[in-house]
Amino acid sequence: MRMTFQQAVVAAIEDEMEADAGVFVMGQDIGRFGGPLRSNAGLFERFGAERVIDMPMSEGTMAGLAVGAALQGKRPVLDLMFGEFLALVMQQFLDAGAMHYYSGGAARVPFVLRVKYGIGPFHGHAYDHHSWLMGVPGVKIAAPSTPQDAYDTMRAAVRDDNPVLFLEHMALYHAGRAEVERRAPPLPLGPAVRAREGADVTVVASALMTKRALKAAETLDAEGIEAEVIDLRTIAPWDEEAVLASVHRTGRVLLLSEAISTGASINDVAATIAEKAFDALEAPVARLAPPPIPTPFARELERAYLPDETRIAAAARALARWTA
Amino acid sequence: MRRDNDVLEGMYRLMSLTRALDRVVGAHDGHWHGLEGEEAVAAAVYYGLREGDTVAPHYRGAITAALAKGADLGRMMAGCLGKTDAYHLGRHRSDVCGPPEHGIIGLYGGSLGPPLGYACGAALSHVMDGDGDIALAVFGDGTSSRGDCHEAMNMAAIKALPVVFVCQNNQIAISTPAPDGNGGPIFERARGFGMPGARVDGNDVLKVRAAMDEAIARAREGGGPTLIEARTYRVAGHFVSDAEDYRDAAEIAAWRDRDPVARYRAFLIEEGVMDAAAMDALDAKLVAEVDAAFTAAQDGAVPDPGDLMPEDVFA
Repeated sequence: MRMTFQQAVVAAIEDEMEADAGVFVMGQDIGRFGGPLRSNAGLFERFGAERVIDMPMSEGTMAGLAVGAALQGKRPVLDLMFGEFLALVMQQFLDAGAMHYYSGGAARVPFVLRVKYGIGPFHGHAYDHHSWLMGVPGVKIAAPSTPQDAYDTMRAAVRDDNPVLFLEHMALYHAGRAEVERRAPPLPLGPAVRAREGADVTVVASALMTKRALKAAETLDAEGIEAEVIDLRTIAPWDEEAVLASVHRTGRVLLLSEAISTGASINDVAATIAEKAFDALEAPVARLAPPPIPTPFARELERAYLPDETRIAAAARALARWTA
Repeated sequence: MRRDNDVLEGMYRLMSLTRALDRVVGAHDGHWHGLEGEEAVAAAVYYGLREGDTVAPHYRGAITAALAKGADLGRMMAGCLGKTDAYHLGRHRSDVCGPPEHGIIGLYGGSLGPPLGYACGAALSHVMDGDGDIALAVFGDGTSSRGDCHEAMNMAAIKALPVVFVCQNNQIAISTPAPDGNGGPIFERARGFGMPGARVDGNDVLKVRAAMDEAIARAREGGGPTLIEARTYRVAGHFVSDAEDYRDAAEIAAWRDRDPVARYRAFLIEEGVMDAAAMDALDAKLVAEVDAAFTAAQDGAVPDPGDLMPEDVFA
């Protein structure tokens, strides 16, 4: 069935709710309103107010409710609306990430926190703050890039026994349909996928950056440069084995980020490559990320802010040609 | 309140146990948050809960809550010392965080307030399961100033959740007197959130228990949340080695004279429920039990540094 990213996310939640009576969703305006950007469209009509629970504007306590219910064995999926509201639930996420370890393994917190974010057609709420959570042990961060991946990843996230931040990029949300197979998740959270194979340079990306990296790879292909695109899918914990294996194949690596360069989640990838694949490198590790500036409003500034296909291709080209 | 000697004796036992913990653990740990003066609240609030009930206790009284819910004393003492026998395996401290396997939601970070939301989530789960179990959220006057507290009460009222909120108001948050932390009476907020609220004398275990009985029955029957403000006084320092140069010694002495344990003992003797000798014997027995458990925990195994494994963080 052909679906948008948004439809695929909703379909995945619907299928998990169908499969497990302990799965329920909550958030502001997710009932009859259907959720911001139709993020829960149809779920209220299908499952009713007991499993599709409208919430007051109390993000921290919504997250608290999710954590408390998850500790009792439920599998809550909380739609937090936008990523910029992460600041309001940080303590709950810190606690949730610590609970399994601190309880000696007795506590499980299967809780999915959905946020929409990213530069896109909606021109607001664009802030990408996921990197904050890189410093939180016990939390997973999922960032799918295609409708099928969104479907598979959401189902895997609901089944995961840990708190998961699920990132829904607004530029991908309604950006066209693709074939989606409604299936059991083929992969758990964690493994990256090789979105494109290539021998000359590795590009590590996620979400919108994966889409742009694949376009840049086509441009480079026409020039005879083969770029390998590693789609992380899960930003935390990220797939070290897949990234290092690719770096060993190509010897050159470009890391893409939509979060600002300072404290960006990709910095951890860069450090690990430097530590563990130094001998394999034929060029310095390169990064493309927005500068440490709040996400700007005007389209001209926005375009300058975020790595685009042209700049990705240029950075990868420079890497491929780099000689000591 | 219906006279039930089992309840009356059970609450005395929890009071005495609370005092024994203060005496034994407080003697070894300068950071122990003592309960002197507040024993009546802990005894009345945590006594007699059902196995399925969930409790997010105030940190001051967290061990009493865990033991009242059936946690093992030896493992709790091991948890105060970071030993392997602890529920937490030495990874966390049991004086502020009890075992979830006994329905306790402890502090997994040092930040107070979020556990009120977790208690609401447990209550929501109890509603979904239709099991008649409830959640208890206990907090101090300090935490009552937090947005988490206001949000959780509002949420519980909106969703008619089976939660009993208990403010263990000991009139001081570390060094901040309650009037500098709360703009008005805490229990009166209940009306604004749309739930019943009451202030009770927190040094009168029977008054606190009567309020709890009513609130718990309401919650179990689907009548939604209640806020109880139990007004007491922190005779103890914030922690054992607190210099306490921020308050008047005469004020502390005045409240020490209103000792809730002595008051309850007088009642039990007067009513012929227990005599002084029986209570003294119970006190001595509990001190001996806590002391033996603590001493055994001191000799317990410590975690192996090789057990510091990142994969243990994920379920």
